Amino acid sequence: MNNLLQLFIRNGGFITFFVLEAISFYLIVGNNQRRGAIYAHSYGLFAGYAYRWRSNMQEYLHLREEVEALRKENADLRTQNLNARLISVPYRDTSYQLLYDTIAGRDSLRHKFTRPAYEYVPAVIITNSIGLNNNWLMINRGSADGVVPNMGVVSKEGIVGIVRHVDREFSTVMSVLHRQTKISAILKDKGAFGSLVWDNRDPNHMTLKDIPRHIIVSDGDTVLTSGYSTMFPGGHLVGVVEGPPKPDRDNQYFYAIKVRLGQDPSLFSEGYVVRHLFQQTLDSLQQLTNEQR
Amino acid sequence: MNSGDFGPNLLRFVGLTALQVLLFKQISLSVGAYFNIFAYPLFIILLPLATPTPLAIFLGFLIGICVDLFYGTLGVHASAGAFTGLFRTFLLNALEPKGGYSGKELIPAPHYFDWQWFFSLSGILMFLHCFWFFSVDAFTFVYIGGITLKTLAGWALSMLFVALIVFLFNPKR
Repeated sequence: MNNLLQLFIRNGGFITFFVLEAISFYLIVGNNQRRGAIYAHSYGLFAGYAYRWRSNMQEYLHLREEVEALRKENADLRTQNLNARLISVPYRDTSYQLLYDTIAGRDSLRHKFTRPAYEYVPAVIITNSIGLNNNWLMINRGSADGVVPNMGVVSKEGIVGIVRHVDREFSTVMSVLHRQTKISAILKDKGAFGSLVWDNRDPNHMTLKDIPRHIIVSDGDTVLTSGYSTMFPGGHLVGVVEGPPKPDRDNQYFYAIKVRLGQDPSLFSEGYVVRHLFQQTLDSLQQLTNEQR
Repeated sequence: MNSGDFGPNLLRFVGLTALQVLLFKQISLSVGAYFNIFAYPLFIILLPLATPTPLAIFLGFLIGICVDLFYGTLGVHASAGAFTGLFRTFLLNALEPKGGYSGKELIPAPHYFDWQWFFSLSGILMFLHCFWFFSVDAFTFVYIGGITLKTLAGWALSMLFVALIVFLFNPKR
């Protein structure tokens, strides 16, 4: 006990100080209205910061679930967005228009004649390569998620590739950086369409071919998917034109335009598999056409 | 610290508190808000050199709260007194003469040291006391300009009276 007292006498300065200051501040805050108000205000500010900090921490701990939920919601919204775009395109026939007009128009009627054409499946890219002649990716979605070969894979700011082989849980995707890639694309403002190929080993650029020479192409023009195939929905960003267009060496009447990809292939991390809901119908129609040829 | 130190310190405690609340408080009230004289910190400064730090802090708190009772500012002087008591130890260590304290000096007064040494000790402690006091008095650093002005004015006036009191009484223990 005596030792403890000695220890306190030698080192107890700060403890005594803080205890006495605490008492002083208690008296100060309790006995003066102005200082009490300052204290209450400061306490409010501090408590606000503390609560915000705590809720931030809690949000951070649930970030993974949050990302999952957002990814799913994003896919849903993309589907919706695409449906909205389709409203004015495939079924706005004159006859339907007439029908719509004669039956004292309710706007919901218009929706009756539209059907969504595309659906998005969110996917995480689990392997990627960019340095080879033919590059491949792998995604964590397979036949269990409704993925079949020849579906396109897009990302937020560009295109990723085309599904080739499908297993139950996973699929391999032919990257856009592949010799066999040939994607139908248009120049946004000009409307001219051509096909996008990868004929060099530059992992950030592709070449847009089959654009005729009379089209005026300038640096920075936006390149979008055309929607002429069922793999990719029309109007999805691919990239921008870089530099002045050069004539194609194989065919002098066409350009070979250098396109900088909107999504850097070395940074692929997640994407959406594009599922065309009428793929089978279209395929069987095509089959009939082929047989009659 | 032995029992012989008790009497003179008690005398200083009572005398300086009385001087503070009977004379200096009235002066401050009648002249103006920037005219503050603090005499009672001299009690903390002149505590015996052998006083343990916790005791010095407690005595600083005690004289502060006594002054507070008369000023009607419960806690403000007490807070400043405790702070001065804590800082006194640091300053005594920092100002230790070459070869340390001999043991013959009972209190940090000019009787044992020279006037210059005493003024460094009391000047710094008084300044910190004033600054702490006026900061706690305002209870916010929003008025830092006013706090600084009051501190400088209060410090100069207080040091004048500290010198006067020590010169008149020349305390030895």
